Amino acid sequence: MSHAAAARAVLDPAHAPPFPKAALPVLRNPQLRKNVAHAIDVIQSKRARLVAEKTDWQELRASASAIRAHVLDHLAEYLEQFEARCTAAGGKVHWARDGAEANRLVAGILRDEGVNQAIKIKTMTSAETQMNPALEAAGISVFETDLAEIILQLGEDEPSHIVVPALHVNRAQVREIFSRRMEIPDLKDDPQVLTAAARHYLRQKFLTVPAAISGANFFIAETGAVAIVESEGNGRMCLTLPRVMVTLAGIEKVLPRFADLEVMLQLLARSATGERMNPYTSLWTGVTAGDGPQSFHVVLLDNGRSEILKRKTERQTLKCIRCAACMNACPVYRQTGGHAYGSVYPGPIGAIFTPQLMRLEHAQSLPYASSLCAACYEVCPVKINIPEVLLELRARVTDRERRSFGKFFDPLYWGLRVANLLFSRAWLFTAAQRLGRIGLRFFTRRDGWIHSLPSVGARWTMTRDLRGMPSQSFRQWWDTRPKEGR
Amino acid sequence: MSARMSPREAVLNRVRAATGNAAPAAESYAQLPRNYIRRGTLDAEERVQLMIERLREYDAEVVECAPGELPAAIAAQLARSGRHRFVAPAGLPSEWLAEGFEWKVDRQLEAAEIEQTEGVVTAAFCGVANSGTIVLHHSPPEGRRILTLLPDWHLCTLRASQVVETFPEYFSRCEQAPALVTWISGPSATADIEMTRIKGVHGPRFLVVILVRDRS
Amino acid sequence: MALPNLPVRKDWPQPMRVSLFITCYNDTLYPETGRAVVRLLERLGVKVDFHPGQTCCGQMHANTGFRREAFSQARRLIRLYRDAEYVLIPSSSCVAMMRDQYPGLVDELGDPALRKELNAFLPKVFELSEFLIDRLGVEDVGAYFPHRVTYHASCHGLRGIHLGDRPFRLLAKVRGLEHVSLANLDRCCGFGGTFSVKNAEVSSAMMAVKLQDVLATGAEYCTALDNSCLMHLGGAMHRQFAGMKTIHMAQILASTEHSPAEEFA
Repeated sequence: MSHAAAARAVLDPAHAPPFPKAALPVLRNPQLRKNVAHAIDVIQSKRARLVAEKTDWQELRASASAIRAHVLDHLAEYLEQFEARCTAAGGKVHWARDGAEANRLVAGILRDEGVNQAIKIKTMTSAETQMNPALEAAGISVFETDLAEIILQLGEDEPSHIVVPALHVNRAQVREIFSRRMEIPDLKDDPQVLTAAARHYLRQKFLTVPAAISGANFFIAETGAVAIVESEGNGRMCLTLPRVMVTLAGIEKVLPRFADLEVMLQLLARSATGERMNPYTSLWTGVTAGDGPQSFHVVLLDNGRSEILKRKTERQTLKCIRCAACMNACPVYRQTGGHAYGSVYPGPIGAIFTPQLMRLEHAQSLPYASSLCAACYEVCPVKINIPEVLLELRARVTDRERRSFGKFFDPLYWGLRVANLLFSRAWLFTAAQRLGRIGLRFFTRRDGWIHSLPSVGARWTMTRDLRGMPSQSFRQWWDTRPKEGR
Repeated sequence: MSARMSPREAVLNRVRAATGNAAPAAESYAQLPRNYIRRGTLDAEERVQLMIERLREYDAEVVECAPGELPAAIAAQLARSGRHRFVAPAGLPSEWLAEGFEWKVDRQLEAAEIEQTEGVVTAAFCGVANSGTIVLHHSPPEGRRILTLLPDWHLCTLRASQVVETFPEYFSRCEQAPALVTWISGPSATADIEMTRIKGVHGPRFLVVILVRDRS
Repeated sequence: MALPNLPVRKDWPQPMRVSLFITCYNDTLYPETGRAVVRLLERLGVKVDFHPGQTCCGQMHANTGFRREAFSQARRLIRLYRDAEYVLIPSSSCVAMMRDQYPGLVDELGDPALRKELNAFLPKVFELSEFLIDRLGVEDVGAYFPHRVTYHASCHGLRGIHLGDRPFRLLAKVRGLEHVSLANLDRCCGFGGTFSVKNAEVSSAMMAVKLQDVLATGAEYCTALDNSCLMHLGGAMHRQFAGMKTIHMAQILASTEHSPAEEFA
């Protein structure tokens, strides 16, 4: 199976292999690991410089975190306010309980408008609902317009990062895809040339396709406005030129007031791409006569977000502004890239968001795809305590697994249950230490180290030796010391 | 869940059930912490210098002129560009439409017509010096959004008195929230291929800013 | 979490006593670290107690999702140290567990008496370098360790309990020691507790990358304030005949000309 075909098969969390298994082919792919590490290093060094320069960075984070938490506390009020203002400004607001409903709504809107083609700005939410195949099935042709998304669409591949989705693809691979699918015979693999090819390919689409689909970075409740943050300009094309515009985004994307953007925009660009400000940010409110689409629809998507909202610790997941700073900082993501997470939301945010969207029925390995190093929490502009949520989800997953039959066959489960018993009494613990010393003697070599162990232990010894147990534990040594009178 | 309940009701009910009956948002909104920098510390001249520096960092060309010299400065830049066919917003001051060039004034021009032009001239609402951001509210002299999107060359006039240092100061200048905004902080760029920054994917590849030295 | 602002006295009239929580894995696998802690503190005039009832703080269970089990271990530990004035722990991850997770666990148990005990317990807890620098006010502990050493910052020490420059200040005063900085100091080594077996391949990939930086320092020893990371890095070094060893910082600080550092035989 080609890398691309394999990727397409696995980015559905309901069917993706568990993380440790999904990571294996990536770990064995030096090209991919190099591409990912290179991309991350570039963003990280730019980000570090600009964050150091921003002397009120921590204050901005504190405000952003508070604003987002506040929105979630009052979400119904803000959603209704947004709906009322957007409608008053000439927009039409629709609600979708789940992804399938969202896809049906979008298809229906486009059909009612008499269009069977749409240009698209990159939106992770539409990938979450698997919109493109649903629209194609409804007879609507969808054309991605982000350079990365074109690379992925033409290459029949899937995104591996939420800001730089094709970061796992190198220039030679892009050249091959463009040359084949755009039918350009003598294409050089210079990024400038490749970008120019994409610009030319898209120009006609922008000028002729009558409808556009977008996501939203932010909804503004106060005015019913929508904001889109981008670098390439294809967003501006899509939201200005066509007659019909459909914006799909999660209910959590709302901000109270226009002025709250003063906090979010300062944080987002530095976090996402390591710039003081991204090239283009656009904001529009409903319909403006004579300027831009004259038919504007918003689809507000739940798809499990209201479930996440219910839970005290997990609610902070919804503060996310999709900057990807967490995955740029993550040492696990650095080695595995995004596809290993089996979801359009990878990295640390994906490890908490995806399982929750799946109601913990799938993607149960994702909360464990972390060494809990907390680098993500340190960089998150809205201060999502991702490690805290990971631990909460691990507890929920474990509670579910406890009730299942499979636990009887899991050596780690038994090991931990037994360990707990041993920790409950000092005499049990010390007895276990003595027994363990005897048992491990069999595996301990002459130099005092253990080279291989069975069962769960083999997962350690596959790449590491283990110190053999010393002949005397600390407390045994302590007992040999003279006691002072007390 | 009732089959007759609309999706809207269903979603809002779920949201309310999750958050409980929250008190009106306004009171707690007013209590939110805002200890970030809300005003800059640079004086007017330093602000303008910073704006110019940031614009040049992203390869915009910047020239300065005195208020009375603006039409002449525009004419000079148009001549320097080597281009001849320009589009102008309907609300652009007529004295800015320099002689010797072909002008299309936008009264709902078709996209194809705008595609034929080589450049656009507009005013702006504000400049944010910290990031070199040009803010367009698309008022009559700033033009419809399509005008600063399709042409390859954009000449933008910015008065020194329109330059603020920080983002929050721009927001405090907005008496009411604008309906349409475009924030421009660089030419279009992508880093999607091996993180190599390529400029000018969509949108004008060339930006010239005339900074008018009026009183701040 | 802010540590209590206690007065520091070098010539304390009564002997200061700390109760050592050795940690389950140090007790079992790294007793020489515990011995070094005792030697070091006694040399500084601090008396060390050891409560024989101690076992584990519950971190392994809490971090793997076995919260029910972690409750009972936490409760047991909090009660064990009721009478201690200071609880000294040579392991950042265990200290982080107590400061970051015990409050949530205790709240979930909904036991107000236990909550009070926890509130009395937490200010007593000190990681080793915190105790030396913040409480005793010493950076020069009279140590001698004539070797080239690189310091590895465990994630719990760095981001969990914010040790900052304390380890470096202590190492700077060790006579004969040459410290070489580790590149990418803030990058996780890949241990992560049960992550090292549940995601053994990814853990090993992270270790491989970390090991490159560690070996590039040319040091003889890689030190840290957590034996957990050192077990992982040291295990890989040993497997690969990499020519470097690991050693807990307590053993460096306890080392003198007359009593050189005890190492794993």
